[in-house]
Amino acid sequence: MSQFFMAILIIVFGGFLALLLARQAKLMKLIAVFSLSAGCLLGVIDAGTKLMGSDIYTASFSFLRVFSLGFQMDGLSAFFLFAIFLVSLLATLYSFHYMDHAQKPLRVAANYFFFSLLIAAMALVVCSSNIITFMFSWEIMSLSSFFLVIYNYESAENRRAGYLYFVFSHVGAMFIFVAFGIVYGLTGSFDFTAMGSLTETAKYLVFIFSFIGFGSKAGVFPFHVWLPHAHPAAPSHISAVMSGVMIKTGIYGIIRVYSLLDFNTPVFGYIVLVAGVISGVLGVVYALGQQDLKRMLAYSSVENIGVILIGLGIGMVGVSEGNPLMAVLGFAGCFFHILNHSLFKSLLFMGAGMVLHKTGTRSIDALGGLLKNMKITGATFIIGSLAISGLPPFNGFVSEFFIYFGAFKGIALGKTAFVMCIFAIVGLAVIGGLALACFTRVIGVVFQGEPRTSAAVDVNEKGATMLISMLILAGACLIIGVFPGALIYMPMKAVSALGLAYGNIPLEPFYQMTGNITQSAMILFAVVLGVIALRSFFYRGKTIGKSGTWGCGFTQPTAKMQYTGSSYAGSILEFFSAAAPLTVEHSPISGRFPLKTDYKSRINDIAELHMGTLIVRPVLFFFDKLRWIQHGDIHLYIGYILLAIILLLFFI
Amino acid sequence: MIHPVDTLLSLVLLSVLFSFGTSRLPGLIKVVAFQGVVASMVPFFIGHDMSAGGVVFTVATLLIRGIIIPLCIYLAIKKVAIRREVEPIVGYHASILFGLGLIVGATYVSRQLNLPAISQYLLVTPTAVALLVTGMFFLIARRNAIAMVLGYIMMENGIYLVGTTFSSHVRHIVEFGILLDVLAGVMIMGIILQNINKTFDDVDTALLRTLKE
Repeated sequence: MSQFFMAILIIVFGGFLALLLARQAKLMKLIAVFSLSAGCLLGVIDAGTKLMGSDIYTASFSFLRVFSLGFQMDGLSAFFLFAIFLVSLLATLYSFHYMDHAQKPLRVAANYFFFSLLIAAMALVVCSSNIITFMFSWEIMSLSSFFLVIYNYESAENRRAGYLYFVFSHVGAMFIFVAFGIVYGLTGSFDFTAMGSLTETAKYLVFIFSFIGFGSKAGVFPFHVWLPHAHPAAPSHISAVMSGVMIKTGIYGIIRVYSLLDFNTPVFGYIVLVAGVISGVLGVVYALGQQDLKRMLAYSSVENIGVILIGLGIGMVGVSEGNPLMAVLGFAGCFFHILNHSLFKSLLFMGAGMVLHKTGTRSIDALGGLLKNMKITGATFIIGSLAISGLPPFNGFVSEFFIYFGAFKGIALGKTAFVMCIFAIVGLAVIGGLALACFTRVIGVVFQGEPRTSAAVDVNEKGATMLISMLILAGACLIIGVFPGALIYMPMKAVSALGLAYGNIPLEPFYQMTGNITQSAMILFAVVLGVIALRSFFYRGKTIGKSGTWGCGFTQPTAKMQYTGSSYAGSILEFFSAAAPLTVEHSPISGRFPLKTDYKSRINDIAELHMGTLIVRPVLFFFDKLRWIQHGDIHLYIGYILLAIILLLFFI
Repeated sequence: MIHPVDTLLSLVLLSVLFSFGTSRLPGLIKVVAFQGVVASMVPFFIGHDMSAGGVVFTVATLLIRGIIIPLCIYLAIKKVAIRREVEPIVGYHASILFGLGLIVGATYVSRQLNLPAISQYLLVTPTAVALLVTGMFFLIARRNAIAMVLGYIMMENGIYLVGTTFSSHVRHIVEFGILLDVLAGVMIMGIILQNINKTFDDVDTALLRTLKE
């Protein structure tokens, strides 16, 4: 474990140094980026080597003489650590040039400080082995990311986003506290392993409460409301880390609690699976309707959390049905998708960050034609989009393929499991199709066509570290997609660390599957190359004219003629209008020669809508009634204290 | 024969009664200073073996509690020339009556508490309880912020008195901890006072009501 703690120490130390050196902006950034990335690199190497073996490492420190801070690193932890450190490493690199424009060095320093705390806290969360340690790290993680979200606190919208995130993360933490409180109350032990000895009813309660609590961090529908607000508010490298790995700690929590409870009821699997399908489908529908590039990516994270939960659900159903192959396929797909999503989602956020950095706008319909000037950003963004839509030969395909395969294995099972598997397969198919629509919209509108506003004209893509991070991530997406066999051992180690009752994991079919994937990817490459060769062969010696996209033969085309993202998504959104009501503001056209008109559409998130009417309003109403308590008279406040002391005396 | 500790404590109780009837801040400060000096002398008579360190601790306590803090407050009100009245919410006569009732009540309550270590001194627990409640009373029933600070110090005197009855070595640590608490508390209150005075040109805490949103 010492190497792990060393990595954490270097990272946190780098953050502190950044604060100390805040006055020397250049030096501060250099040192912060260097030590953060050095720590992360050490962490990646450490986690990677630990994933090779299958030992369990433990360490514990006594804290305040009352509690002990316990750490344990098994395959599951090491797997998450690998993803956390890898994404953080690239995000740190990316931040070096991303923070170039920042005018206020102290704020940049604070950003690095909280960023280092966030990385350290995430790493500690996945290594905690008792309740105290876990909640401790969990809170540091929530608080440091809160400060990162309100980086641009001047804007009221960002402050609101930060507030929403703060409320959500703490209500979520309360649910986790309830779950852990039940464990402690019934067993009297802070140790995680005590969970296994609970009664059945208690296990149900613990699982459901922790699912809600962890689900609100992970962004499971309907607890995702904070996510599309907080992610766009944060700087892009922070969004990449938050969306790429931080929300996965919620998934880690669910998996860890599930494995510790060691309770093979099919109900858990069904809950997770249904929650997964709902968040997957609704997440992508909402993503399709977003105007804001980063907000769209945030909703797409909700969708991918859904896919991950579907895999997890398939695995759980497989365990309870006693079908080891289905279980392992489901879990492996889930873990693989966690790793993959952390790669391509951070890639996409970095691409969106580059667009935001250079054009100054996040509005999808204000951009256009960026591919011409931002070749690397555009190409990597397209790779990320293909991967996130689950298309071969990229990594998203591999993990979704595993999950599909697990679900198909479950079709042969009994009634309910059969229905659930079909539900999962249909859900995955719908999600995949909609995700493709969602990302073709973004690429078509943002990167292709002609610039729609002056913001998208004359852009460049400077910033070597930003480009390098994106290239590395895009390369990883491709390599995992083509040679999944090389990395299959990672999710497998995580699966075997769950310690579930399916005996030896059958590895043979996996190697066969990954071999097939590699083979078909090769065939795909050959076909693509062949088509390119044919094309250049047929066009040889012919003159090729170039004109503006969407010119459509007009002599005076304007950029306003272009197809917009809203109209592309319109027909699909209409179909889902029950779950995603669309508000349209459109001043009517009148007369033969109509003057100016405008069209504004906004998609409403039903979870947010109903949260407002069902929870926020009654709570506000109730607390408005209690406002008289805060009357402003200091003497009566002291009276309250006296009253409280007297009341407490009765309980002693 | 009356034990010297009880004699001292009866002086403290008298000072409590006197403070209830005091209308001017300088007078109240003197009462509190007197109370601090007397209360700090209790450990010398209580019959513990006093080591050299213990003596130093007790003398330091006496200096801070009885002289330094009251002097600071006295100088502060001279400097900013704030109004000298304690501005009661509960009137002086009612306060004195309350004080009398309080001492009776405190005696009754301390009978109930029944702390074994100090049973030979009749007045330690009643005085401590009376001081605590008096402090609270001053915090609640006086509008002038300085009077409230003095109430806080009285409360701390009461806690100190309870602390003197422990006979272990930990005592000095506890006492010194309390003392530090008082110092920090008074300093914080000083800063707040200055702010209140700057904002409202007065230290009437009822004015804070206007800050309510």
